[in-house]
Amino acid sequence: MNLLLALAFIALSVGVYLLMSMLYKRYRLPVLLPALTATFTVVVLLLGLHISYETYMIGGEWINRLLGPAVVSLAYPLYKQRHVLWNNLPAVLGGTFTGLLVGMFSGLLLALWFGFSKIYVLSVLPKSITTAVAIQISGNLGGDASLTSVFVMIAGFTGAIGGPYIIKLFRIRGEAGIGIGLGTASHALGTAKALEYGEQAVSMSSVAMTVSAIVGSIVGPVAAWMLYH
Amino acid sequence: MKILRIIAQVGVLYLFFLAGEFLQKQLQLPIPGSIVGLLLLFVLLLLKIVPVKMIEEGSSFILAYLPMFFIPATAGIMNHLDIFSGKGLLLIGILVISSVITMAVTAHSSQWIARRSKGLQPRRRIVVGIGKKEKEA
Repeated sequence: MNLLLALAFIALSVGVYLLMSMLYKRYRLPVLLPALTATFTVVVLLLGLHISYETYMIGGEWINRLLGPAVVSLAYPLYKQRHVLWNNLPAVLGGTFTGLLVGMFSGLLLALWFGFSKIYVLSVLPKSITTAVAIQISGNLGGDASLTSVFVMIAGFTGAIGGPYIIKLFRIRGEAGIGIGLGTASHALGTAKALEYGEQAVSMSSVAMTVSAIVGSIVGPVAAWMLYH
Repeated sequence: MKILRIIAQVGVLYLFFLAGEFLQKQLQLPIPGSIVGLLLLFVLLLLKIVPVKMIEEGSSFILAYLPMFFIPATAGIMNHLDIFSGKGLLLIGILVISSVITMAVTAHSSQWIARRSKGLQPRRRIVVGIGKKEKEA
């Protein structure tokens, strides 16, 4: 019975995802990104059919297990763009490190200031990091993976939709800065937006996204420790 | 045949993940095992110990469908729907503001560093793989 249930929920998730990515491919609107629409559809279906999250996870857990290898697979694009990394090492490392610190602390302090409880504060912490890694950082620290995943999406949309305004408002010039900024603040969604600014912006953004995931997984626990010890 | 190669390569990535988890536990590292696995694979690719062909198709496959793997984890939000109302909306505002700050600070600090490091090494650098000269920041 459990096996059938598991298979049904896996099929549901994959089916909804494929459908939603077809929809996205047709219209190319940021609000139709499958990460958003597929999750939304699954949640609505579960709520409508009165299926608990715990029941859904009998199948969902199997998909979750691929998150580990998904993080590992980020080594491949980083390897392919290793020359971009080596040629811009100080800028990429320095930029992502500074940005991550400011980003993490601004999120943490604002959330604390408005009196949010520990689980929310810790879930906010890895928001700028790509989902697969952010979920793990959050889980390790005592945050909630699903909250973090939604927060990561919000951070992503901020860059993907607000990016051009941020670039104008803060007078960011040069593809390198735009790319590293988008990749560090808005991970894969930012990298997709970087396409509009040229190839260098994209490769910088992609490299910055992976580097910030690595740096963030070290800085994150330190920041959380400083706050709660 | 391609699908079998992809499955085998995803298996290789899984082994790296397990190795990362193992190392993380043994050495009590503060970073997640999957990141240890990522670094391990990256280093072995650089040293040419692991040929890129061994993981190319598996990685591309996973990365192409990446958002699909987040669905179950994200669906857990159904137990936290309160963040979309009342005080939760404040949190969304905080995330947006903090993300704007992150992007602005990252972009400016990276360009500041790029300018300085160029000053120290006056040779013109070419971004390999793109074939385009780096623009003046």
